[in-house]
Amino acid sequence: MKTLVLGVGNPIITDDGVGIQVAHEVANQLNDPRVTVAETSAAGLSLLDSIVGYDRVIIIDAIQTEKGEAGQIYRMSTADFSLTKHFSSPHQINLATALELGRMLGLAMPQRITVFAVEAKDITSFSEKCTPEVEQAIPEVVKMVLQELDA
Amino acid sequence: MKKITIDPITRLEGHGKITIFLNEDGSVANTYLQIPELRGFEKFSEGRIAEDMPQITQRICGVCPEAHHMAGTKALDDLFHVEPTSTAKKLRELLYSAFYVTDHTTHFYILGAPDFVMGPDAAPAERNILGVIGKVGLELGGAVINTRKQNHWIIQTVGGRPIHPCFGLPGGVSKAINEEERAKIEEIAKQSVEFGKVSLKVFDDVVLKNKMYVDMVLSDTFTQKSYNMGLVDKSNKVNFYDGKVRVVGPDGKELCKYAPREYLEHIAERVEPWTYLKFPYLKKVGWKGFVDGKDSGVYRATPLSRLNAADGMATPLAQAEYERLYSTLGGKPVNYTLATHWARLIELLYAAERLLELSRDPEITSPNIRNIPTAKPDEGVGIVEAPRGTLTHHYITDEKGVIKKCNLIVGTTNNYAALFMSVKKAAADLIKPGVKITEGLLNRIEMAWRPYDPCMSCATHALPGQLPLEVTIYDAQGNEVKKLSQGI
Repeated sequence: MKTLVLGVGNPIITDDGVGIQVAHEVANQLNDPRVTVAETSAAGLSLLDSIVGYDRVIIIDAIQTEKGEAGQIYRMSTADFSLTKHFSSPHQINLATALELGRMLGLAMPQRITVFAVEAKDITSFSEKCTPEVEQAIPEVVKMVLQELDA
Repeated sequence: MKKITIDPITRLEGHGKITIFLNEDGSVANTYLQIPELRGFEKFSEGRIAEDMPQITQRICGVCPEAHHMAGTKALDDLFHVEPTSTAKKLRELLYSAFYVTDHTTHFYILGAPDFVMGPDAAPAERNILGVIGKVGLELGGAVINTRKQNHWIIQTVGGRPIHPCFGLPGGVSKAINEEERAKIEEIAKQSVEFGKVSLKVFDDVVLKNKMYVDMVLSDTFTQKSYNMGLVDKSNKVNFYDGKVRVVGPDGKELCKYAPREYLEHIAERVEPWTYLKFPYLKKVGWKGFVDGKDSGVYRATPLSRLNAADGMATPLAQAEYERLYSTLGGKPVNYTLATHWARLIELLYAAERLLELSRDPEITSPNIRNIPTAKPDEGVGIVEAPRGTLTHHYITDEKGVIKKCNLIVGTTNNYAALFMSVKKAAADLIKPGVKITEGLLNRIEMAWRPYDPCMSCATHALPGQLPLEVTIYDAQGNEVKKLSQGI
């Protein structure tokens, strides 16, 4: 099974870089030729370009929810995003729309997509480091991704 | 007073808020535009080595990293007083042309087309790329994806990395291309030229052959007579990568033409008490408030402005389309904001043609890709045309090349004043006493904004990724009348 671990985010916007940091750490700890570890700052259509051709994709990203606490980790499937399917995204289209578009066009879409999201505290300041709350969550997310890969 | 806020503006690359206040009679009293910005980049860059700037600045924006990489690299040429080799310049322009093909494709099909293909009054659930492809056909949908993918391959092959190139160095680039790569680029360029032609045909069929849309394009609601800015080559033809910045008035007359180093003589920034945004304007003309016309220093830097600021396109097919645009819309300059979508497609065709020319250039596979700098760094300015406007990078360093000061004027920033005025005018024209405020009406207000393709601090990617922009309308008593807030 061809698997992609994809860290999404911006490495110079404090907690927005958490996905990329997790991906780096997963790459350090993993030695499996069937798994590709990558990072991207792009979303929407570019995200679609990145995941086409893989059987399974694990995405790690930052999230901000109304009542979440910084560092909180969520494991989600794409079904969790279907509610927002027709809504807009800062980056062209959102994940659910991108997936639907890929299926509509008959592209080789992954059968399984899992998203690990970490509640971010600061996504508006320039910094290459996450806030301490989010930083602390990184080893746990890495562990969860590695477990997911074994599953 | 009533207040209307549009939040989110759908399908835009950034965050924003439009608030409209109504009078007692239901007409518009005032409109405000709020754009949250990431702040502090200048501080963040101080103390870093200058050579890192093309890598770091491209992280500011998730949409046009290639533009920042290119402006940063050109600023380094100037900073280290080194002229890149001819092949290096051509490789940079080749990558940049491929980037333009991807970016303009994305804008038209994802952001621009839904309003026209599905109609401005279509339900938001249909007014998106899925609806567009459902209507224009899967074959074109496949071509959109394929054109982007192939041109991203060029960016990766020439630039060393997908999306975030790492090949720009002071005096040149880090990597040459071989004959095999060149041949593949030529093939992709040919397909991209065809795709550009098809896209213009889509615009013809959907917009120009529909009287309702043509009337809308030509309507006063979407007209703004401001100055036009764009980079031009020695023959005053549109150029994305290099040249001088030319500014042409709403009457078609040249106001000024300046080299990157001179930008501060021509551009100043206006600060308003109600927003953190700074509004750049033309120093020579002066700030006269948010008004259009020859006496107001407000300018636009958009695909349409670039065409207006130039005397033509440097490639044959794009030139023919350029002439067609002006003959159809009544001569130069065109001040119809919605015609920006058309101009963008002409630029897409130009980028593809330029890509093809460069791929066939005998020098393009030369290994002579860099001149090593020998002078001490001090100060440098680099300017390129980003898809969303003229992009200026200005660095000042110590003699070791450590950044002491950095100033950026990013593409969208140029357009803040004009963007604000376009939205304000559309709101005032469309919301009238007795007119029911529907979602379709609010979408038409957003349509005044979409041609600018504003890219507002979109450096963050936190889930769930909806665009937080809302339009809210408040009545004369301060009660909320209507709010468009998808995705919140």
